[in-house]
Amino acid sequence: MYMYLPIALTSVNYLVVMGLGLGVGLLSGLFGVGGGFLMTPLLMMIGIPPTIAAATDANQIVAASASGTFSHWRLGNVDFKMGFYLLIGGFFGGAGGVQVIKILRATGGADFMIKMTYVIMLGLVGSFMFVESLHAMRKTKKVTTTTDQVSSPKKKKRGFFAALPMQIYFEKSGVTHSAIVPLVLGTFVGVLAAIMGVGGGFLMVPVMIYMLRMPMHVVVGTSLFQILFTCIEVTYLQAYSNHTVDFMLALLLLVGSVFGAQIGTVLGKKLHGEQLKILLSIIVLAVTVKIVLELVMEPSILLSYAGGH
Amino acid sequence: MKRTFMNLSRYMSLAAVVLLGLALLPVPAAQALTCSVTPDIIPITLTYHGAQLSISGQSASGDDLIVTVTSEPADTALKYKEKVGGLVWMKKGTLEFKDTPRIYMVYSTDELSRILSAAELNHNLLGYEALRTHIRIEDSDGNPADAKWFDEYLKFKKEEKVYDIQEGRVVRQHGEEGNTFQVDVDWPYQAPPGVYTVEVLAARDGKMVDRSSTTFEVKSVGITAFLSKMAFDQAGLYGIMAVVVALFAGLAVGAIFKKGGGSH
Repeated sequence: MYMYLPIALTSVNYLVVMGLGLGVGLLSGLFGVGGGFLMTPLLMMIGIPPTIAAATDANQIVAASASGTFSHWRLGNVDFKMGFYLLIGGFFGGAGGVQVIKILRATGGADFMIKMTYVIMLGLVGSFMFVESLHAMRKTKKVTTTTDQVSSPKKKKRGFFAALPMQIYFEKSGVTHSAIVPLVLGTFVGVLAAIMGVGGGFLMVPVMIYMLRMPMHVVVGTSLFQILFTCIEVTYLQAYSNHTVDFMLALLLLVGSVFGAQIGTVLGKKLHGEQLKILLSIIVLAVTVKIVLELVMEPSILLSYAGGH
Repeated sequence: MKRTFMNLSRYMSLAAVVLLGLALLPVPAAQALTCSVTPDIIPITLTYHGAQLSISGQSASGDDLIVTVTSEPADTALKYKEKVGGLVWMKKGTLEFKDTPRIYMVYSTDELSRILSAAELNHNLLGYEALRTHIRIEDSDGNPADAKWFDEYLKFKKEEKVYDIQEGRVVRQHGEEGNTFQVDVDWPYQAPPGVYTVEVLAARDGKMVDRSSTTFEVKSVGITAFLSKMAFDQAGLYGIMAVVVALFAGLAVGAIFKKGGGSH
């Protein structure tokens, strides 16, 4: 039942770890998020040091997102073109974000700002998605009673975006944007993700839905495609420079998460876009509440090893 | 009369020789203190979840015994949390705990304070109060930190199960092999690989009279040793392996699932 982890230097119940992998992998396949915002704290709860939890989680997400991307690609749900532009933006954003952190750390009080950014972003994204999808679900109900045609009100309110140069049509998503838009948005998410120390899936998904106006099912596949590359980079860098990737822990997690991602993908096909959005928003809000409670309540132990959020 | 006197002196010198001989013979009451630990190597295998240690030895009867299991003292840096802005608990900075053992386990035949005087306990680093006076706590600027952080440190280490004091846990027996003692220790898996020292101290009338020590090693073997070595010595290759295995596993399971059914 127990397995010793050579880098984390601790022993874990492997059934528990595989279960965690399965659960978070399911969310990954379902919503197109890496799930790091859930997995890292859960790993810390079972005694994994924070830096190793975060790095090993990235390694595990490589497997889950490869598995998820593969099945979404087979379903025709990955917009490689859009993913590519977001990826380039994200790459530069991530590098920039790391520099921002360095400057903040040097001036002091960075941790407070990081934590606040995290809570505010999670709270805003969660609340917005929740209200919006609730609204959309009600509207859809009303529309279906009068007409069979159900479509989201897109292709409007694009004034500023449409005026930008380098307009490209993204066939898979059925949207036209200037190449600058996904590049800038990718950079923005990259900066925030680096500052908060997360993969940024939960930020990228709403950006694709609301700002790029992509259909929900393509959003999930494309987000996973993007996460796959980000996490390959993070895993390698963490292993190479920080020695914080625990291969055994990653193996246990990915055994669960690759199957979870498949189940999530199958389950996702059975749900409507709005239902997916509202579920994701509820999870994001629950995580926000948990973090707020952790911040406000006195911890039982006031000391900890360095690293983590 | 003279003969009787000579006989007496002969008997007396004989008695003196016998007495001298007896004095030179080992006296059971002053048995030398010994100490051994089994096993002396704890292998960390893939399924390692801590181990059972048995510490035993011989001692003089009537002596009280204190058994310690410790590691080389080192400096430990830990993040500390404090309330910020009167509302939220945040990691505020780093505290350096100087000269702290990674492992600190103490077992004895009686309450420590009844075995040795406070000064002796302090001098031999026995008991949490002795540790409190020994460990220096500094903030990142090198200034001494508030004493309350020692209590937090203790809580943290006890939670990790690497600091433990159990008074009265050492069992003494009188058998054919003389006076022996024995204590079983639940060795925590949280203790990292390394060499650890077991020491036994004998005390009589509030004073330490003898000490004996031995060591044992906790070390990674097999795949655990291979991976931890590779992660540091061949970090690049290790990183590539981690990525490739994850990629392959993800794609393989994706392919298998697809074949299994559930097409669009």
